[in-house]
Amino acid sequence: MFSLSIATFRERWQLFVGAILTVTLGVAIVQSSLLIVASAGGYGEAIAILGLALGVSAFLAIFIVSSTFAFTIAQRRRDLALLRLIGGSRGQVRRLLLSEALLLGVLGTVLGIPAGQIVLSAQTALLENLGFLPASFSAAWHGWILWVSLGLGIGVAQAGVLAASRRAARVRPLEALRETGAGAKVMTVSRWILGILLVVTGLTLMLVSTAVSNPNGAIPLSINAMVALALGLSALSPVIVPLIGRLTGTLAGSSTIGRLARANLRDGIRRNSSTAAPLLILVALLIGLAGTFATLSQGAHDQLTDDVRGDLVAAGPVAPLTPGVATASTEYPLMIKVTSVNQGDTETDEFPALAVDPATYQQAHQLPLIAGSYADLHGPTVAAAGGKLGSTVRIHVGDQDLNPRVVAVLPPTLNGGPEYLLPRDLVPPAALGPAQSIVRLQPGADPAAVARSLPQPVLTLDEWIAQSDSAQDSLNAGVMKVVMGLAALYAVIGVVNAVVIAAGERRREFAVARLTGFTRNQIIGTALLESTVVTVTGLLLGWLSAMAALIGISGVAGTMVIPWGAFWLTALGAFLVVGATSVWTSRSATRATPISLAGTRE
Amino acid sequence: MDMLQTQADTAVELRDVVREYGSGQARVRALDGVGIGFARGTWTAVMGPSGSGKSTLLHCAAGLERPTSGQVLLGDRDLAAASERDLTELRRKDIGFVFQSFNLVSSLTAEQNVALPLRLAGSKVSMTDVRAILTTVGLGDRLGHRPRELSGGQQQRVAIARAMITRPAVLFADEPTGALDSGAARTVLGLLRSMVDDAQQTIVMVTHDPAAAARADSVVFLRDGRIVDRLVRPSVREVADRLAALEA
Ligand SMILES: Nc1ncnc2c1ncn2[C@@H]1O[C@H](COP(=O)(O)OP(=O)(O)OP(=O)(O)O)[C@@H](O)[C@H]1O
Ligand SMILES: [Mg+2]
Repeated sequence: MFSLSIATFRERWQLFVGAILTVTLGVAIVQSSLLIVASAGGYGEAIAILGLALGVSAFLAIFIVSSTFAFTIAQRRRDLALLRLIGGSRGQVRRLLLSEALLLGVLGTVLGIPAGQIVLSAQTALLENLGFLPASFSAAWHGWILWVSLGLGIGVAQAGVLAASRRAARVRPLEALRETGAGAKVMTVSRWILGILLVVTGLTLMLVSTAVSNPNGAIPLSINAMVALALGLSALSPVIVPLIGRLTGTLAGSSTIGRLARANLRDGIRRNSSTAAPLLILVALLIGLAGTFATLSQGAHDQLTDDVRGDLVAAGPVAPLTPGVATASTEYPLMIKVTSVNQGDTETDEFPALAVDPATYQQAHQLPLIAGSYADLHGPTVAAAGGKLGSTVRIHVGDQDLNPRVVAVLPPTLNGGPEYLLPRDLVPPAALGPAQSIVRLQPGADPAAVARSLPQPVLTLDEWIAQSDSAQDSLNAGVMKVVMGLAALYAVIGVVNAVVIAAGERRREFAVARLTGFTRNQIIGTALLESTVVTVTGLLLGWLSAMAALIGISGVAGTMVIPWGAFWLTALGAFLVVGATSVWTSRSATRATPISLAGTRE
Repeated sequence: MDMLQTQADTAVELRDVVREYGSGQARVRALDGVGIGFARGTWTAVMGPSGSGKSTLLHCAAGLERPTSGQVLLGDRDLAAASERDLTELRRKDIGFVFQSFNLVSSLTAEQNVALPLRLAGSKVSMTDVRAILTTVGLGDRLGHRPRELSGGQQQRVAIARAMITRPAVLFADEPTGALDSGAARTVLGLLRSMVDDAQQTIVMVTHDPAAAARADSVVFLRDGRIVDRLVRPSVREVADRLAALEA
C-alpha cells in the first residue's frame, strides 16, 4: 500500500503542493509560537496573541488539508474504484489515503521545522515591534519541540484525511467503469445534516451570546458562533454557489460566455465550493475578529462616556476644597490578587482594581450598580464586577491578605476596566498606584484657570477617554495584524490550491470547448467569470458568518461596528488573487493544441 | 432458455435475475428475468443492441451490482446476498476483469500494475511470474513503462496480464476490443482463447463485434433485458446476421 502511495504522490504531486505548504506553515507557526510562549512567562499579552495564532493556524491547517483531500479524492474516484475492482478492500483504500496523508505530513513537517526558525525571528520581531515583548527577548530552543512539531504535522494531515478516507472507502468498484470520475454526488445526506446542524448551532450560540451579560462569556460564544456558521455554510456551499451563480449569471445575460459560465457553475459544483470555502473562512475570521474588537472598543468607549461625569482629569490627588472644583474623585489604580475557591480548587488571579473614596466616586461615576450600594463601602468591604452580594473574597493587596465582604456588584466591564473597587483606607499606601482625579467644575469656573492649579498633566475628559481608547486599540491592532496576516496566508494557499487543482482537471473540458468553436480568450473569459461568481459567494457567506459574531457580541457591547474597511480590502485582495490565478491556470491549460488533449482520459 | 449444463460444471449461473434502475415513472428494467449458466472452461459472448442490458448482465454476474431479485451463483455462493467483504475476497481469488477502457493505474509501471492484485490480496509477489505473464502477452520488453507510454493494444494486454496473474476461475470482459484496431484486437482475442483452452478458465465477454464473438464458444443475444437467442460456435456471418435482425 505504501509503495502505491509513493507512486501516486510522484504522479500527482501538484495536487498535494498546497496541502504540504499548509502543513509546513502550520508546523512552523505552532513551533515558533510554542517556543516563544515557553520563554515568555511574564508577558501575558504576547501569550494571548500567540495563543490566538496557534488556534487559528491549527484550525486553518486542518481545514485546508481536509478540503484538499476531499477535492483530490473526488477527482480520483475512478482510480480508487479500480483498486476495489481488482481486489482492494475498503480498509486498504482507507489505508492508502492515510499513508498518503502520512507522507504529506512528514514532508510538511520536515520543511516546517526549519521554516519555524524563520517564523520565530519574524514573530519575535513583530511582537517586539508592537511592544508586547522586550527588545532583548530571545526564545530558548527546546529539544521536545521537534516531537511536538512532528506530532502536529502528522496529526494535522491525518485529521485532514479522516473524513475523506471514510468517504473514499465507500466508493463502489463499479465506479471505475463510469466515463467521468465526477459521477459522485457532492451533497451527500451526511453533508446536508452536518451543514444544517452547524448552521443551527451557530445561530443558537449567537442568540445565547446576545443574552449573556459578561464579555468573558460573550466573546468566546460569539466567536464560536461564527466558526460554526462558517463551517456550516461551507458545507452547504455546493447548494449555494450554483444559486448565486444563477442570480449573477442572469446579469451576465445571454452572451455565449455568460451562458457557458452559468452551465459550468452548475456542473463544477465541487470545484467551485472548494474555491469558495477558504475565502469564506478567511472573510469570516477577518471580519468577525476585527469587528468583534472594534465593537468591544466602541462598547468600552460608550461605557466610559456613559459612566464618567466630570470636566477634567488630573494626574494626582485633588483636595475637595480646591477653588473652582465642585467635586473631585481621586482614584488609585492598582493590581490585586484574588483567590477563589471553586469546588476544592483554589485559584489566584491578578485583577485591575481601583482604590476610591466611595462618596466622591459616586458623584463622578453614573453607571448604576447591579446590586448593593456605595454607602456600605467602608471598612473591610469591596465592590466587585460579578460576584455575589454578601459573599467574602480573599484578596492580597500590597503585602496584606484581606477577606472583605462584597457590598456592591458593579456592571461587567468591557476591555480591562477595574474589576474591584476598594475603599481607600483599606489599601496600604505602599500598594497604591499613581492617583488620578476626575474633577467636576463649579458652574462658571474657568476650566483653564482651575486646570493650572491641579496636579499636572491635566486632560479634558474627552482627551482622557480618547487616551484610554487608543491604549486598547493598539492591543487590538497588534492582535489583528498577527491573525489577519496568518488567515490571509492560509486563505491564499487554499484558494490558489483549489484553482490549480481544478484547472488540471479541466484541461480536457477546455479542449473540448475549443474544438466546438470557442476561442482561447472566450475560455479564459468564462473561467474568469466563473471565478468571480465563486469569489462573490465566498465573500458573501463569509460576511454572513462574521455577522454572527458581531450580533453575538453586540448584546454585551451595546453597539455594533462592522469593519467595512477591512472587508473591502479583503474583497479586493480576493478578486485579485482568484482572478489572477484562474486566468493564469486557464491560460496554461489551453496552451496545448486542443486536439492533443481532447482524447486524453483522466 | 434451456440449460444444457449440469450444476457441477457451471462456473456462474444466473437464476431469474431482474435488475431495475430508478423508481416510479423513471423505472427502467435493465434485466427482465434472465436465467443462464456459463459452463466451466468455456467462452461465452454476450451481444445485443445498445441498451439491451449486456453490461448490466455482466455486472450482476460479477457481483459488481446487486440484482433487484433473483440469484447469482458462483460455485455454491450466492453473489446477490454476499457481504462486501466476501465480494472483495472473491475479486481477489475467483474473478478477474477486463474492460474497454483498460483501467490501469496510471502512476504504476506495467509490471507494478500486473503485480497489484497480488499485493492487494496480500500474497507473495513473484516478480518472475509477473515477467513471465507479461512476456506471454508479448510485453516482455515493456515492463517498466507506464500506461501513458503504451499503445491502446499494449495497455489492454497489460490489463489481461493483470487479470491472468491471479488465475481467476472466471474472467469478465466488457468490450475488451472496443477501443482497439483489428490487429490489436486479434492479439487480445488470441490471449483470451488460450486462457480458456490452456488453463480451463471461464470467460464471459460482452462485445459489439461479430468477429470477436465468433472466437467464443457460444453467443447469447439480449434484447430488452431478456435472452432471446443463443448460437453455438457460429461463424462471423451468422453472428452478424442475427445481430442485424435484432437491431432492426
Ligand atoms: N446506473 C444506471 N442508472 C439508471 N439506468 C441505467 C443504469 N445503468 C444502466 N441503465 C439502463 O439500463 C439499460 C441497460 O443498460 P446497459 O448498460 O446494460 O446496456 P448495454 O447493453 O450494455 O448497452 P451498450 O451496448 O450501449 O453498452 C439501459 O436502458 C440503461 O439506460
Ligand atoms: Mg454496455
